[in-house]
Amino acid sequence: MAEIGHGGKEIVERILEPTEAAEKIKGLTAIPIRSQIANEVIDLAYGFFTPLEGFMGKEDLDSVCKKMRLADGTIWSIPILFDLSEQEIADYGIKVGDTVLLTYQNNPMAIFEISEIYDYDKRAMCQAVFGTDEEKHPGCARTYAYKDKFLAGKITLVNRPKINPPFDPYFLPPLEMRRKFKEKGWVRIVAHQTRNVPHTGHEWLMKGAWFQTYAELPIEKPLVGVLVNAIIGEKRKGDYIDEAIILCQDQLRKSGYFGDHNHLTSLTFWDMRYAGPREAVFHAILRTNLGLTHHMYGRDHAGVGTYYGPYDAHRLLATVQDEINITPVYSMNWLYCPHCAEITSEGLCNHRDEWQKFSGTVIRSIVQDGVKPPRLIFRPEVFDLVMECAEKYGFGSPFVTDEYLEKRTPVFTIPPLSA
Amino acid sequence: MAEEKYPINIWVNEERFEKLQKAGLADMCEEMLAGLKVIRVYCNEAQKDKILKTFPTAKFDSATTKSIELLPREVKDKIFDKIVEKQSIDIMDDFLSQY
Ligand SMILES: [Zn+2]
Repeated sequence: MAEIGHGGKEIVERILEPTEAAEKIKGLTAIPIRSQIANEVIDLAYGFFTPLEGFMGKEDLDSVCKKMRLADGTIWSIPILFDLSEQEIADYGIKVGDTVLLTYQNNPMAIFEISEIYDYDKRAMCQAVFGTDEEKHPGCARTYAYKDKFLAGKITLVNRPKINPPFDPYFLPPLEMRRKFKEKGWVRIVAHQTRNVPHTGHEWLMKGAWFQTYAELPIEKPLVGVLVNAIIGEKRKGDYIDEAIILCQDQLRKSGYFGDHNHLTSLTFWDMRYAGPREAVFHAILRTNLGLTHHMYGRDHAGVGTYYGPYDAHRLLATVQDEINITPVYSMNWLYCPHCAEITSEGLCNHRDEWQKFSGTVIRSIVQDGVKPPRLIFRPEVFDLVMECAEKYGFGSPFVTDEYLEKRTPVFTIPPLSA
Repeated sequence: MAEEKYPINIWVNEERFEKLQKAGLADMCEEMLAGLKVIRVYCNEAQKDKILKTFPTAKFDSATTKSIELLPREVKDKIFDKIVEKQSIDIMDDFLSQY
């Protein structure tokens, strides 16, 4: 049976078998790509970005900017672009109609069928997508860093990425993810978007969302799962290292705070754009393709600084609810109340004067001071694993450092083509 | 209007607690978050700005806790030692004068 993704389109993996691939790439001009583009090549080829089959053309881009839709009317909120400079285009001798080979880590990765070469006003793009054109907005900065020309066209993977340990069990592309959900017998799955090592505030966000999602379903057997979908992409100094994020999220299941019957951890390659409301819509599309039925949204989802109001994303989602195939689950913050002596929701407890809020930043600060937080705030198994990850993967630190950026093992490698 | 005060949370690990006990200052600790010992040193707006400028890794958590977090451990150790030395948490001017 066909798996239907966003926009009512079937999810198709655009991946060639090795023998066919070896034949197809003969004589093609090779263009090396950076990790930012390689991530999105993977997303396009495995169907994470259904209905997109390749990098966007000008008509789609313009429509995404102005109407938050592809040219055919399908809801789409974030540009997916392939950039080159005019000089590079001349040096490679590329023209519309050419097929080229994209290489990564010096190995063949994907075929790119160039259907259009164009330019676009980056400032206008920023204003439309981010609601600002300020360079200090990280999404704008990323946009301004694009070279001057954009190339559109279909992408076909010629070489599957090798996902390196410890990440390998967590790469579950849309078709595989959907099979997994069927095996588990889940009829509703709620997405938890994260870039964090979980504290109990996060744990309770997931637990709360699980209750909300379960709603009227029968409870005789487990029917609802939480999918942690960690975003793996560009890192900033001071972030938790990727290894700690993915392993610690899964540790909540391994240590019994959740179980196999209701919790699964996975990753998606994506550079956060911090586009707030528009990124919230994009996350809905991404998780629809992964086969989820529900999506958690807290305050200021995917926001940055003070660019977006706490509920702007919720409002934008409401305007497209009929056209996206996922139900938003809105989460209030969880906090510690010494009077209740428990983690509670700000929507429940009324000991307002006694509330002790905590954030990922505060937890990082505690850990940095060499203090082990109480188990009600941060699970001891998670704390121990953070420390282990620091030693094993982080060159002594659980947070991203220059050394980590320079020496870490990449999440995936593109091996030589084996045919 | 009263001036806004922004705390720096000095989380008290065993080593720090021992020093406090020796100095007879153990009751300077508050308890937060289900049993964490902390000393809160308060900064005014100008002090907050100077700290964020002097120590670029530091972050003002404006959304949740309104506190200054992620100061390097050595910096916090220095603030802590100052507290013990002066037997007071009113040390920010003194501490910042060296930067
Ligand atoms: Zn309470």
